Amino acid sequence: MVEHTRVQYQEELEQLEASALGGLDLVSAALSRTLEAIEHQDVELAQLVVADDDRIDGRYLEVHQSLIALLATQSPVATDLRLISALLHVLKNVERMGDQCVNVCKLIPLSGNEPPADKEMVKNILTMGNQSRTLINQAKRSFEDRNVEMARDLVRQDDVVDNLNRECFHLALAIGDDADKREWAMTMLLAARAIERIGDNAVDIGEQVAFVVTGLFREFEDASHPGG
Amino acid sequence: MAEPGSAAPRTRLATAGAKATTQAMLRDQPRRDVIRNTAFAGLLLLAVSIALAGLIALLVQAFIKGAPALSTDLITNPPSSIYPEKAGFRTAILGSLELIAGVILFVVPVGVGAAIYLEEYADKTRWWNRMIEVNIQNLAAVPSIIYGILGLAFIVRGPLDLGFILIAGSLTLALLVLPMVIIAAREAIRAVPDSIRQGSLALGATKWQTVRSQVLPASIPGIATGVILAVSRALGETAPLLLVGATVFVTFDPTPFSDYSALPVQIFNYAVQPQDEFQALAAAGIILMLVVLLAMNSFAIWLRNRYEQRW
Amino acid sequence: MTQDESRTGTGREAREAAAERAAIAVRPDEFHHSEAGSGAREKVFELKGIDVRYSGVAAVKGISMDIHRKDVTALIGPSGCGKSTLLRCLNRMNDLIPNAEVQGELLYHGEDLYGPTVDPVQVRKLIGMVFQKPNPFPKSIYDNVAFGPRILGRKDDLDATVEHALRGAALWEEVKDRLEDNAFGLSGGQQQRLCIARCIAVEPDVILMDEPCSALDPISTGKIEDLMIALKDEFSIVIVTHNMQQAARVSDRTAFLMVELDADEQNRWGRLVEYDDTEKIFTNPADQRTEDYVSGKVG
Repeated sequence: MVEHTRVQYQEELEQLEASALGGLDLVSAALSRTLEAIEHQDVELAQLVVADDDRIDGRYLEVHQSLIALLATQSPVATDLRLISALLHVLKNVERMGDQCVNVCKLIPLSGNEPPADKEMVKNILTMGNQSRTLINQAKRSFEDRNVEMARDLVRQDDVVDNLNRECFHLALAIGDDADKREWAMTMLLAARAIERIGDNAVDIGEQVAFVVTGLFREFEDASHPGG
Repeated sequence: MAEPGSAAPRTRLATAGAKATTQAMLRDQPRRDVIRNTAFAGLLLLAVSIALAGLIALLVQAFIKGAPALSTDLITNPPSSIYPEKAGFRTAILGSLELIAGVILFVVPVGVGAAIYLEEYADKTRWWNRMIEVNIQNLAAVPSIIYGILGLAFIVRGPLDLGFILIAGSLTLALLVLPMVIIAAREAIRAVPDSIRQGSLALGATKWQTVRSQVLPASIPGIATGVILAVSRALGETAPLLLVGATVFVTFDPTPFSDYSALPVQIFNYAVQPQDEFQALAAAGIILMLVVLLAMNSFAIWLRNRYEQRW
Repeated sequence: MTQDESRTGTGREAREAAAERAAIAVRPDEFHHSEAGSGAREKVFELKGIDVRYSGVAAVKGISMDIHRKDVTALIGPSGCGKSTLLRCLNRMNDLIPNAEVQGELLYHGEDLYGPTVDPVQVRKLIGMVFQKPNPFPKSIYDNVAFGPRILGRKDDLDATVEHALRGAALWEEVKDRLEDNAFGLSGGQQQRLCIARCIAVEPDVILMDEPCSALDPISTGKIEDLMIALKDEFSIVIVTHNMQQAARVSDRTAFLMVELDADEQNRWGRLVEYDDTEKIFTNPADQRTEDYVSGKVG
């Protein structure tokens, strides 16, 4: 039987991990609402997402503060130290993803009340969003399970988002000469770009999973870092 | 950077040189040192041999002389100045035992009490406490005959006026060994580390509870050892007893309030008789006494080794 | 270089050296003391301008702080800063040292601990102490724990008291089958937990710990630290430690003491520099000297 000491510290660290990863649930919910707001051109819902981002920021500040205190008082080393470092990264990613949702939601009123929406492009963006949400959930699970394979798989999943993003660009180019339509398409391109960044953040979390487990930090191979 | 191949032989050479030096250092003890060491060890051995030779000579002589007289009669028969073949040490042995019992009864409470006071309660910054300490050290070195005179003046006559009875002898011997007991008990008490006292006091124990429940139990082996050694000294003392009335010739079993004799006094008495038979008797008495003393000292050593607390 | 220049040169060096010494010594007028977020807490001790002197020589000066109930309060600082001296004031263990005197006001639950009618023996029943080196009595494990209750006359159900205390000190499982064995047969860490059990058995209000882990290996230290965290549900704990990280790990509030020198550097004494929530002390101390000490830059 192994006797464990420093029980309270271990419990505290587990709780902080749960809180930090819980931030991903908040982001996932925010993204769902964001997508709904895009689909239905719901300005009020979009405003709710913007207001609700304070909760994500609050979580960020709270857990960040506690992690710093834990670093200062418990002098963690080895896996614990990597975990805390990774959690600080994850928190930053959470906060960034929340901000990206806010960015998207702020675009919705700009596109007007009855926008000349291109069905295919909206569908494309919604698919991107849903795929990004899957990425967020997968990132969270891989972190919880310390599953490096699942974390690496995020790169492949993210490729889908990237491809959809490029497609959006082509759709925007092909949208024609109507000024209103072009303006709408430009706005939607910005939204697509923000959602694509959310996917990248999820991949970054996957990199942190690999760091916690292996102790090596390496960016996963993706479009900007082709395999070698 | 140099080629590994060129560097290696030089390193090997250096290593070989260092090895030779080390070996030389390890082996070559200077001759002068060897001689000195041996000579000194020889001197020490000589000192030990002289001490041992004295003891062995005493034992051998006592055994050769006393062997014929050794029998149980020696213990069971009262003394006689006329019939050496019937004479024994019975009353002297009883007298010694009673004397010793009296010494223990007196010296343990007083000696341990004094030691506790000096170690635990006395404020060492006060001049009178320092004076008491110095004087106890001095008293231990006072010749025993002085105690005999003291006993005669203050116990047999003088204030106590007990007369020449066994208790008077006990008290005199007790005074003689009291400093020894106090010193031994103080050392035993001092050996109990302060952390034990602090631990006890920090639990809300009073000073007396601390002394009684922690310090004394922990120092009992040391105190007991000191008491036994002191008693074995009292057992061997002759001079003061001669002054306070240990008569040489007691034919009845002594009581605390009667005349009395003691083993060493009886041996002295037999030894000064002109007849060879009495000389043999004295030698047998010496053997008897040596056996008792050795037994007591061995017990003290055993006690110390068995129960001595290692802190 | 001329004569003059060389003289000014040495003069400057001397000034710099003096400034360096002054930087190490504490400036008495500055003291950071935050009561933020602790105003409503029940106070066990209130220290108001405590000075402790040995034969007239000050060991600590002007200590004012409140120690709260059911907190672990840590006293840290370099050697010679008087943290142990201060701790021993709290249960009048300093009384045992000849010529030690405590000045200033020291309230325990509002009562003057050094009042004329206060019996130090009674004080120590309420305020127990665990020492630097484990000091079990040379008796059985059982008798070690039972000693306190026995002298207090609490002899009913002694077995239950002993078991409760040993469980409280997380030692029961390890010793329950050998309660009659001599306590000296235990390991250092077990001995120290036995000393804590011995202290708990008296059911004190406060437990003072004077560097309780300095003689122990890291695993034993970890166990004692866990124990402290568990014990604060029931007791108020004040711990002196030279191990800053230990203070960081176990304490709720931390007091940092420093050595202060007088003008001619003949005398030195301890002075409280900063007293605050442990988290604050170790993440964002108010005083630069605290920061330098906890980050290991001076001390």
